[in-house]
Amino acid sequence: MKAPRNLPLKVAAIVALVGVALSVALAPRSNDALALSILIVIGVLSVGVLLAPTLRDAHPVLTRAARVLVVMVVTLFATYFFSTTTNFSLATGAAMSVTLVGLSFLTGASGQISLGNGAFMGVGAFTMAIWANHHATTPIVAALLIAIAAGALVGLLLGLPATRLRGPYLAGMTLAFAVAFGAILTFFNSWTGGDGGLQLPHATEPPRWLVGLFHHGVDPLTPNTLWLTDITVVATGVAFFFMANLFASRTGRAMRLVRDNEVGAELVGVNLARTRVLAFVISSSYAALGGALWTLIDNSVTPSTYSFALSIVILSVIVIGGIGTIPGALIGGIVYAYSTNAISWFTAQTGLNPQGNLASQLNGIIFGGLLIVTMMFAPRGVAGLYRTLQQRRSMKRPDLVSPVKETYADA
Amino acid sequence: MDAFLTSRIMADVLGGVTNGVIYGLVALSLVLVWRSTGILNFAQGAMPMVAVYVGMIVFGHYFGYWICVVLAILVGFAIGAGTERVLVRPLYGKPEINPVVVMVGFLTVLEAIAAAIWSTTPRSFPTPFSPIDYRLGGKPFALSAFTIYEIVTALIVMAAVAALFRFTNLGLQLRASALSPEVSRLLGVRVNRMLTLGWTLSTGVGTITAILVSSNFFTGLTPQVMDGIFAYGFIAAAVGGLDSPVGSIIAGVVMGIILQFVGDYVNSNATILVALAILIVSLMARPSGLFTHARTRRV
Repeated sequence: MKAPRNLPLKVAAIVALVGVALSVALAPRSNDALALSILIVIGVLSVGVLLAPTLRDAHPVLTRAARVLVVMVVTLFATYFFSTTTNFSLATGAAMSVTLVGLSFLTGASGQISLGNGAFMGVGAFTMAIWANHHATTPIVAALLIAIAAGALVGLLLGLPATRLRGPYLAGMTLAFAVAFGAILTFFNSWTGGDGGLQLPHATEPPRWLVGLFHHGVDPLTPNTLWLTDITVVATGVAFFFMANLFASRTGRAMRLVRDNEVGAELVGVNLARTRVLAFVISSSYAALGGALWTLIDNSVTPSTYSFALSIVILSVIVIGGIGTIPGALIGGIVYAYSTNAISWFTAQTGLNPQGNLASQLNGIIFGGLLIVTMMFAPRGVAGLYRTLQQRRSMKRPDLVSPVKETYADA
Repeated sequence: MDAFLTSRIMADVLGGVTNGVIYGLVALSLVLVWRSTGILNFAQGAMPMVAVYVGMIVFGHYFGYWICVVLAILVGFAIGAGTERVLVRPLYGKPEINPVVVMVGFLTVLEAIAAAIWSTTPRSFPTPFSPIDYRLGGKPFALSAFTIYEIVTALIVMAAVAALFRFTNLGLQLRASALSPEVSRLLGVRVNRMLTLGWTLSTGVGTITAILVSSNFFTGLTPQVMDGIFAYGFIAAAVGGLDSPVGSIIAGVVMGIILQFVGDYVNSNATILVALAILIVSLMARPSGLFTHARTRRV
């Protein structure tokens, strides 16, 4: 199937027109108009790359970048018109999807699973807060990188012994870590601030250039402002871009081979132990980035957020979205962002007492139940269902030889 | 002699043994399921927890402690058998993460339902034994009638499981179907029934553990009481060897003693850190467990 020759041009023109209209509408806020214009240029270029067939085939990395950029630009456009509450949910969900894509990668690449990603998010979140409290002048990007490094370090410590072994050792050990995380935080309470957690001192002040360009006139000291959402969306985009490349890279292929056929992998010269540890370390650093972003969005961090329950919620939403896939992580992030609202809506509709025992446990019953049902009947989640439908449709067309699709989850 | 028996060190050793037999029992129940079905049962703490809550319904209404204990164990057997039949059976032969995910989901659902029905307020399951320590020469000796009951019950359960596996025909069938399902089936062993029985037994052991835990005056029973104990039990099983019942029990008791010292001399929040460190070091040194004869799978 070939796209019509001038389709990219048409789509790009439409995007540009919509963008110009938006800029004119926002012209009284001149800085916003400038920011939007920049976004438009990025958007037009990426749509062009995405739709030009020759470019798409010759430069897969460019295509992936374009794909991520399109989603990012659309989201950034949207944040201008969302309410503060929606933007906050969006940022929370985006940070969660960073954690999810890490876990998805671990399972998709090595066939193992971590039950402690909530605790790894906590590692990142607390590293971010502790660092900001001691070195308030560190730029946000550097602080995020430090949080990622801390996550990688803890991941290496736990992963080194456990990932080498077949069987449930990694799952059990990460579960023990998640259960123990509260006690660990209390043990180091001179750093972590005990039960109350930590506040960010000055980190909520956005970088000057960003405010000047994108959010002129926004009070920088109000938490949960637009710029936090924007930073989270950009960080999420970057994280997904790296992950998409990793999935497709030589390392990613080696990892899938390890998952599917250990003996074969060893025979073609893949180092099993190193590959497995690497997959786990990457997944825990992604979780740490997700947690660090949460600290940034919330402007504070509390130990109760990173309880064992969070790890289970993480597992539930990624399994629902589709473990082992990249789109599954995005779907999971959306599910997560709206789950609280959906559950309280459900409570209101059914007339349950919101303070009652049942209402306070609905979260666990629903997420746990969905975990079981999804794993039993649709182990590849929503993303897998979509893929199955797609394959079924392409099989119906007899003139096409359907290529063997690479699947990330063998579940 | 009295001075030694009432010393801080002796108190830690005895307290450690009391906790350690609990970890050992959890580890044993994990090993039973692992050996028979190759699944690490993450709901191993939650399933017995529900059984004990059910057993406690009748407590205080009409019946005494022992009838409730028997009832709870019977409910535990039923939960174990039902879980294997309904939830676990479709998972045999699937990738190794599928049973992990399903059992974690089951754990979550059970804890949430228990909290919805019985609330998260701790309840205690008072025993006929006094939890007050005996005294020697005017000083407390770190054993009470209750802790002796705890230790003796644990030893009886361990001995009973060992005897079942070693000396009975049923135990032979259980071991055979764990070792080689196909051959056992050819020899006339009803392998499916043995798998169900493995889960039943394991949940029974778990229920006795949960009864001992919830009879403890200090902890009581809450829906999440087994989470931490499960973590210690798993560490004990992994350190001792998931294939080795004896190894996992020994590891549980030894770990109980070490952690009691850590909790007493360092900080009670440090115990789980030390437990994790023990797990990391022992997996590095002996990946298949300290007490196992199993060969590691090399490719």
